[in-house]
Amino acid sequence: MEFLQHVRQRRWTTVSGYLLFTALMVAGYYYNITFVQLGLIDLGTRLVGLSETDVSMWMAALALVTLIVAAVTGVTMDRRGWSTTLRTKLRLLFGVVCLQFALTLVAPMIRTVPAFGAWIVFASIGLGVGFPVSFSLAIDLVPVPDRGYVAAAITAIAYFLANAIPLSWSVDVFSQLMVAAMAPGILVLAVLSFASFDRLDAVLDVLGTRHETYGTGRFCHDTQVQARSLAFAVPVVLMFGVFFIDSLGFLRIIDTPSLLLSSWQSPDLSTRLFIAVAHVVGAVMAGVIYANYSLSRVFLWTFALFALTHVMYTSDLRIEAVFPTIAGSGTSPLNPALYAIAVSFYTTLNFALWPDLSTPETVGTHSAIGIGVAGWLATFSSTALALYFQAADLTLLSHLNVVQALSLLLLFGLAVGLYAKRMVELARETGGANA
Amino acid sequence: MSPTEAIPLLIVVLLMISIGGGDVQDMSVTFEGDNDVEALADVHVVAGGTTTVPENAAVDGDIYVIGGTAAIDGTVDGDVTLLNGNISVSDGATVTGAVQTYSGSASVSPDASVGRVSQFEAPTPSSSPAQRVGGFLLQFLVLGAFGWWLVKRHPLLFENVGAAVTDHALVSGVVGSLGATTLLVLFVYMAFTLILLPLAIVGLFAEFLVILYGQAVFGYLIGTRLPIERDGVATLAGIAVFLLVLELFGIVPYLGGIAQLAVAVVGFGAVLNTYFGLQRFEPVTIPGGT
Repeated sequence: MEFLQHVRQRRWTTVSGYLLFTALMVAGYYYNITFVQLGLIDLGTRLVGLSETDVSMWMAALALVTLIVAAVTGVTMDRRGWSTTLRTKLRLLFGVVCLQFALTLVAPMIRTVPAFGAWIVFASIGLGVGFPVSFSLAIDLVPVPDRGYVAAAITAIAYFLANAIPLSWSVDVFSQLMVAAMAPGILVLAVLSFASFDRLDAVLDVLGTRHETYGTGRFCHDTQVQARSLAFAVPVVLMFGVFFIDSLGFLRIIDTPSLLLSSWQSPDLSTRLFIAVAHVVGAVMAGVIYANYSLSRVFLWTFALFALTHVMYTSDLRIEAVFPTIAGSGTSPLNPALYAIAVSFYTTLNFALWPDLSTPETVGTHSAIGIGVAGWLATFSSTALALYFQAADLTLLSHLNVVQALSLLLLFGLAVGLYAKRMVELARETGGANA
Repeated sequence: MSPTEAIPLLIVVLLMISIGGGDVQDMSVTFEGDNDVEALADVHVVAGGTTTVPENAAVDGDIYVIGGTAAIDGTVDGDVTLLNGNISVSDGATVTGAVQTYSGSASVSPDASVGRVSQFEAPTPSSSPAQRVGGFLLQFLVLGAFGWWLVKRHPLLFENVGAAVTDHALVSGVVGSLGATTLLVLFVYMAFTLILLPLAIVGLFAEFLVILYGQAVFGYLIGTRLPIERDGVATLAGIAVFLLVLELFGIVPYLGGIAQLAVAVVGFGAVLNTYFGLQRFEPVTIPGGT
């Protein structure tokens, strides 16, 4: 890990880059997994009075608009050269955080559907501009060999805080906490974006030229990775699959009180801490594997973990179907803990992958397409499918059975794909079979 | 008791029935509530609640208790086995077979008629110094013989796994913990299908052998640092030192157990990473560092 060398050799400018990137990403991701994913459901159902189905449709719309805004932002960043200008990116981020601060402040006051819709549109703009900008900061602030470890740290801290701090999943609570946390963040970003004094300018000048060293991602040294090349499209498709499986399964799990109250919303702090620690362990494991193995190995582990998790969930449900008296006794914390490890695995991968598939000239576009298609479009599609399942009155077991089938299919498909790829390589090398 | 918690003990019950030649197809399970039984399937498992054989009832079959309580007030023509939970055999009750207690609380009235009462005593390592020394010597003989043979015949295997332990301990630990846990869960669920039960038993045994292989490698590594020239003797001495250190870890509460677990998973991961020593483990090289 290069970070330790930088600390030992007192390269504080470089160290500050690591810390700034980690802090910004932790804050952004924590906001996303709490306020956006959970607070919005409470806002729509409890305060505005919409049905869960209507709120899900609005959230799907948020995902789609975010994808469009992100794509426009990413392409604009690369074309205008903003991707390689640190100050510009910090200023854009400052604008995004100001918008999100205002939206967070007014969220608990929303009572009508049009206001809710307008809130969704503005939130989409903030998110759509925010994530290509924040991901592109990796080329200025994080050395390539350490991206896996930094991604692991971001995932571990964000999920630990989200699970260990016992917050009610209510928009009022989230709003109060976020406003208090964002206020000092806005101040820091304002200083970084607009203030000018010798020491700060010197640090930002050094960090602003680092894209020349850190800019070319891990997977772009030997091959030219374009948005339309297979080297980029395959990871996008695989990540889409992971996000889709996670979202489709989790939407149903959080909609099932017996599963939710014995895990993520358990009144027992030790259960929540157990899940929080599982997230940290999963993130560390993913960071180590990302830094020491090929990309295919990380994907294989991710799919294997998801497949195993859903095998465990569906096995429990099948046993409950055979022995109905066992139903309602809750679930073991082992299932959500394994789920947490799987989620941490792919989240870590998501933070490291897109900058590593980019150069300074493509980081805006690739981050936008990668996270937009894999993350937001997958969320949009899985929400739509979950709504269809709900309309079709699909049982919990049938729903999770579909998720299990998809995860096993992806695991099998990836294994076959890797094997076939190796066969093609061998055939090309030898021009035919060797004795 | 949730399904995930019940599954391991249910698998133990299935194994015991299979080994005893019983029919696992005709089995019933109760998970909660108060249940009076007048008739039994071939095998009845009590996983929760209270199951009572009433005073005037006579049932034919075996009862396994893995949670909750079984109260025998009448006649059971078969065995009663307690793995976890409680059983009570009251005055005047009859169990024609054995009442076997492995864990949990059993109360058998002196006025009850029971074919045989047995209590499983787990071997306690600290029961006598002679037993401990005997156990240690047995471990040393098995591991030492394997280490001696491997270092004489295929020293490169030990070298490769040893290098993965010393140069990439964190990676080996991560892969070891992921691999061991995933395989363990997989084998448990395979066992539950019954069809794959033999494969699951073989798999669990193979996992145990991989851990032993890892332990032998630790012994080899210690042996290379000892002032002994002959490889075989150095490995034997290293294995002895390693087993002694493991024993010492066992004395330290909590931290000692964690250290033993860490050694096991690092060894497991190193063996997997090197394909049992057939290939040296080299992590990928990431370009673009400073």
